[in-house]
Amino acid sequence: MATDRIAERRRIFKQYKDDVESRGKPFYPFAMFHDTVMSLVVVVVITGLAIVWKYSTPGDHIGTDPGWLGKLYDDPADPGTFNFVPRPDWYFYFLFYLLRIFKWPDTVLLGTIGLPTVLLVLLIAVPFIDVRPERRLLRRPVAIVASILVVVSMGVLTYKGATAKESLGSELVAKVPDWAKTQGFSGNQQALGGAKLFAESGCLNCHTYLGLGGGFAGAPDLSAEGAKNKGIDFQIRHLENPAGVNPGSPMPSFQGLGTANLKKLATFLESSKGGK
Amino acid sequence: MATRRLTRKEQMQQAILYPVDWLEERSGLVGAVKYFLFRKVPGDTNWFQTLGSATLTAFIVQALTGTILAMYYKPDPNSAYDSIQHITNDIWAGWLVRGMHRWGASVFIILMFMHMGRVFLFGAYKYPRELNWIIGVLLLASGLGEGFTGYLLPWDQTAYWATVVGININGTAPFLGPFLAQFLQGGTYINADTLSRFYAIHMLMIPGAIAALIGLHLYLVIRLGVTSPPWSKEAAGTGPLDGETPNGKVGRAGLSRFRRGR
Ligand code: HEC
Ligand code: HEM
Repeated sequence: MATDRIAERRRIFKQYKDDVESRGKPFYPFAMFHDTVMSLVVVVVITGLAIVWKYSTPGDHIGTDPGWLGKLYDDPADPGTFNFVPRPDWYFYFLFYLLRIFKWPDTVLLGTIGLPTVLLVLLIAVPFIDVRPERRLLRRPVAIVASILVVVSMGVLTYKGATAKESLGSELVAKVPDWAKTQGFSGNQQALGGAKLFAESGCLNCHTYLGLGGGFAGAPDLSAEGAKNKGIDFQIRHLENPAGVNPGSPMPSFQGLGTANLKKLATFLESSKGGK
Repeated sequence: MATRRLTRKEQMQQAILYPVDWLEERSGLVGAVKYFLFRKVPGDTNWFQTLGSATLTAFIVQALTGTILAMYYKPDPNSAYDSIQHITNDIWAGWLVRGMHRWGASVFIILMFMHMGRVFLFGAYKYPRELNWIIGVLLLASGLGEGFTGYLLPWDQTAYWATVVGININGTAPFLGPFLAQFLQGGTYINADTLSRFYAIHMLMIPGAIAALIGLHLYLVIRLGVTSPPWSKEAAGTGPLDGETPNGKVGRAGLSRFRRGR
């Protein structure tokens, strides 16, 4: 059986080689012409994108105002910053969106590492899974279904990732009085300061809090973090080095905020008992 | 026998051919190029099959614009952002080179996916081209790696924070994850060395690997030949050509077919 198949595909390939030799056309100029036209199109498109990128920005086309294709550059990186949006380039949006679907810690590994690895292995395995010589598309139903599924799911995930809304720090800060009322820490200046930092520092890009926020990277809901009574010291240690406290945590270190701010944040977290 | 004086035309021919012959005698390169150009391909290869060379073109654009950017870019947290601003705002056509590199990256990735899609739909990964498919998958992964490492280089807010989270996610991988994260960062935290490390990976390590893999890829394409479209009637996919001689000469019929752009 197997030897038959091997003999058969060798025969087909030999026939292909013979056919090309006797009836093919030379690469130059025939295929080369198509290739050259296509390559020119590529260069023109790339140049066009570069031009649109720059000249669709408002004013004198410098600075951080976005044009049709986005900003020329953002504000300078600031590790001690407040307010960031952890957004990758578009071809990683599908992965980025996967992170919103999976929950820490049970399935987040599946989403971030498991699925991409499985996809990569499957992709490499394609020629070994599909060993029939048949190449006509209509006689390869599995291949048709598989490619439709892949294209649709990648498309949907990319679209979802692209349109996922990040809350702006300024909008969230307006919520601080509400939070204080619900959680009952209105009198606590430290906690109030922490709540403001919490709104401004991008925590809600990942976490959810009283119904707001991202749900990204499987980050837990923090509305009742204080109910766990882990203590201020624990919270500070975790904020300084999340992965050191909870191994494998994808949460970035917030050491850059400084000890005083971390203390406020920790107080806020410990005051969040989930409301009435 | 008295040697005849060469005519003007013959003299010119000799002057042109001499260096070509010189090179051929010492390297065989001329023969190789001739083989590459005049090798036979199936008669009905079509536009879908230009996606591979289009990808190659996009890679070359990246290599050229990247080299120019490297002349002005400074991979150090204190000056990276300023050097990007300098390139974008001050240097003559700097914005164009940077824009082409930035958007060329997206075009490169899209073309890679489209080329892969064409190979998949044509069933062109089948015997004996399995190895070339695997090389292709490695190219795809390397291409995405270029995207990931290049994204940090402007050292602005988007770049910085996307990379922090990206590295942390790498770090969650079982077994290798923490090592990978450490390797990328050059330490336990993202720090000053992280940027130069990403830069080295982005402009030396991965491009070197991609160039070598493309070399292998094209070697296999030339050695095995490109497939004819799956709908073609014959193995070589010439199909019935009006008036073409069956002995391999691409006569006028072949040319007119070509002009009609089929
Ligand atoms: C990139 C996404 C991300 C960002 C941004 C982020 N976190 Fe987290 N956070 C996580 C994940 C994932 C976990 C679960 C793993 C862990 O405990 O470290 C977590 C866990 C936590 C916990 C629970 C720790 C425990 O064990 O009880 C607290 C509290 C917390 N984060 C606070 C914050 C605060 C405050 C901020 C903003 C200064 C913040 N996080 C920003 C992803 C994030
Ligand atoms: C840097 C990226 C790449 C470059 C420059 C490249 C270039 C090329 C070129 C020039 C060809 C000749 C035929 C054609 O143009 O279609 C080709 C064929 C091929 N490529 Fe790629 N390629 C790349 C990535 C990939 C990827 C991601 C895959 C799949 C995973 C792949 C798999 C193949 C296969 C199997 C062939 C043989 C097709 C046939 O014989 O019809 N390549 N490639």
